[in-house]
Amino acid sequence: MLKLYTDSDTDVTPKVAKEHGYSGYISMPYSVDAKTIHPYEDFETFDCHGFYEMLRSGVLPTTSAISKERYIEIFEPDFAAGNDILYVHFSRAMTATFDAMDQAVAHLKTKYPGVRFEEIDTKGITTICYPIVVKAGDLFKAGKSLDQILEWAAQEVDHWAMYFFADDLKFFRRSGRVSGLAATMGTLIGLRPIIYMSPEGKMVSFGTEKGRMKAMLHLVNKVKELGLDAKQHGIYIGHTDAPEIAHQVGQMLQESLGEDLQITYVECNPTAGSHSGPNGVGVCFHAIHR
Amino acid sequence: MNIDAQLYLNLIRGGAAKLAQERQTINELNVFPIPDGDTGDNMYMTIEAGSQMQGSTLSQAADEVSRGMLLGARGNSGVILSRIFAGIAKGFQGLQQADMGQFTQAMQCAVKEAYSAVAQPVEGTILTVLREGVDAAGNAPTLETFFDQWIAAMEQSLQHTPELLDVLKKAGVVDSGGAGLLCIAEGMRAALHGESIATMESPNAPQAHQTVDFNAFTQDSILEFGYCTEFLLRLQSSKVNLDSFDESIIKDWLESIGDSLVFFRDGSIIKVHVHTMDPGAVLSKCRQWGEFLTIKIENMTLQHHENHMDQRFKRARKPLGVVTVAAGKGLADTFRQMGADAVIEGGQTMNPPVERFLDAFKEIGADHILVFPNNSNIILTAKQAAEIYADAHVEVIPTKTLGEGYYALANLDADEAPETLVQSLTEAAASVTTGLVSRAIRDAEGVKEGDYVGITGKDILCSGASAEEAAEMLSEKLDAGSADVLLLMAGQDAKAPQALQETLQKKYPMAEVILLQGDQPVYDYIIVLC
Repeated sequence: MLKLYTDSDTDVTPKVAKEHGYSGYISMPYSVDAKTIHPYEDFETFDCHGFYEMLRSGVLPTTSAISKERYIEIFEPDFAAGNDILYVHFSRAMTATFDAMDQAVAHLKTKYPGVRFEEIDTKGITTICYPIVVKAGDLFKAGKSLDQILEWAAQEVDHWAMYFFADDLKFFRRSGRVSGLAATMGTLIGLRPIIYMSPEGKMVSFGTEKGRMKAMLHLVNKVKELGLDAKQHGIYIGHTDAPEIAHQVGQMLQESLGEDLQITYVECNPTAGSHSGPNGVGVCFHAIHR
Repeated sequence: MNIDAQLYLNLIRGGAAKLAQERQTINELNVFPIPDGDTGDNMYMTIEAGSQMQGSTLSQAADEVSRGMLLGARGNSGVILSRIFAGIAKGFQGLQQADMGQFTQAMQCAVKEAYSAVAQPVEGTILTVLREGVDAAGNAPTLETFFDQWIAAMEQSLQHTPELLDVLKKAGVVDSGGAGLLCIAEGMRAALHGESIATMESPNAPQAHQTVDFNAFTQDSILEFGYCTEFLLRLQSSKVNLDSFDESIIKDWLESIGDSLVFFRDGSIIKVHVHTMDPGAVLSKCRQWGEFLTIKIENMTLQHHENHMDQRFKRARKPLGVVTVAAGKGLADTFRQMGADAVIEGGQTMNPPVERFLDAFKEIGADHILVFPNNSNIILTAKQAAEIYADAHVEVIPTKTLGEGYYALANLDADEAPETLVQSLTEAAASVTTGLVSRAIRDAEGVKEGDYVGITGKDILCSGASAEEAAEMLSEKLDAGSADVLLLMAGQDAKAPQALQETLQKKYPMAEVILLQGDQPVYDYIIVLC
């Protein structure tokens, strides 16, 4: 039997994951004041506003990788039961946590030969993962085989694009996970770098807009420029406690592409949000290319 | 020549003696991972603890030196240094004496051990200098040539560290840990040749708190850097199974709550160095596995401040320095946070003299210096100072207002070549429109004393009964609706800056209104349209 897994860095909550056929959910931890917190294990509902308010007050959380032993704990029951596993996860290029997972999986494969373990690397983090996780789950629920789902992912993952901006670059600078950021204090004067998820699954800054309105227009124009069947696939707008800005972008998109454009608003998870900080908004859409 | 216990101990003592001489120089290079200025002290105390040990065989002597350093290790660089010599001891395991092949192998063990002790190895540090040095000397036929090649390669590697680590490049220094290791190697080579190095130590043995200014951390201070927390933990058989215990559980946890982690286990002893905001949690957690042999906790904000005071006079030259002029604590603090090395007090009612600029240039000690006068009356003075000063290439960005200076400084990209920086910053300053709101001190045409006036350049554009009313009218006159960003700098007498920000944001939805508490005198509000 095939079992599906995903993780909290994809912005998919355990409830949504379950609705789309996932039986495994891996919580990616972050730490605040020396206390390690596992989303949806240490709390049931994510208090998006409370978390990002804490960041606004000056708290800088850190994130940490899961150990090999923890991965063994997570996957061993399904390996022992002889179930095949498909794990739809956030970008390998952004973390070392999957090195530990590889070791764990190699150990389990030796212990339980014959079990198949496959992955879909969404090559992204937060909201860009959301539609890929959901659609892979729907294929599973529709009775598609593991190979059919993998074939779909090989075609589709690169067609999901995400463009976003954030208010305060100190979070990105501290995490070192965005390349191409100018070494200026530009956010003090409203200069916002526009960042996108590269085809390699990394965050890359490629331009700057002056003022929030121009940054929002940039996101809208990217959807118009690169969007491929956007209406058919729907648009996903993620935000780090900036629902008003997110809805404003959504409204601008509907004005531009049609009122019937379906938009899903997503709260960015705290672990990834620790690297981006509050007041960030990103648009994810089905695109010609990233 | 083979290396035996006595020669090995002599080499260690030679290394310690040389480092004792250069300790202070090494301290002054220290900017990574945080500029706490104690690398020389920490490395010296570490090697000094090892240099007092004895042993009859090479293996015993190396083990004893390693144990001494383990117990004496202090700081990030000290702990890494102790692991280098632990690696050498591993390489010498069971040997009476070592030939060149065995010695070279032991040095390779040192590299491996040093890298494995650091949770997230960073290149451009002592690790790189050691590795590149050992790689270059790998095939040396004799000890003498090994030390010559090792030292030459480490010197070269050290000079490249700023290329690998941005923080070094910006501070204009090489890596302090690498420099300390080079000193030790030079001392070892001198000992190999039978030279004696007179130490200048003992009476002035390093004392970490000797010059700490406790006023640097007041009741209102914010804990910026956390605590440098170091300890030796003896694992207890009553708490863990010593044979099967996997220490990575402690390491993983420490990595999740702190940074600059250096961690290693030697038998039942675990050595930890970590920077954390909550040392109490670290100690409580670690006691579940063992008991402490030693503990050292220091507030790194104090360490940083202490070092900052020393560096005012002694730091190495920076490639680029920045001087601004500002009135008001809020703006002065903001300019410093934005990277200004010196903020000269001054403004409309107080023009600083040339001497103040010259003092600032001297204090910064940079190759290139950029000056932001931020007032049209101060530009000429700044230019005179720039012409007089011969020890750096000084250029003035002719910013006429605080708004222009703030905007230009926020655009400063330290990675840009100094030749093009001046032009791009001058253009940035010229691209904004600045308006000022101030209280009229006498009657004038259409304005009564006590009214608030809105000014741009020398023109009075509007007046109102309150500063907020005048600011709103001034924004209208300056066509704020066509701007992308409206910066609102609130002065020390501004009554309702947040309400004004909200009003302007509603009125100009296409512009982003950003409020900054400048606390400047004279001007209740400075409006900058970008």
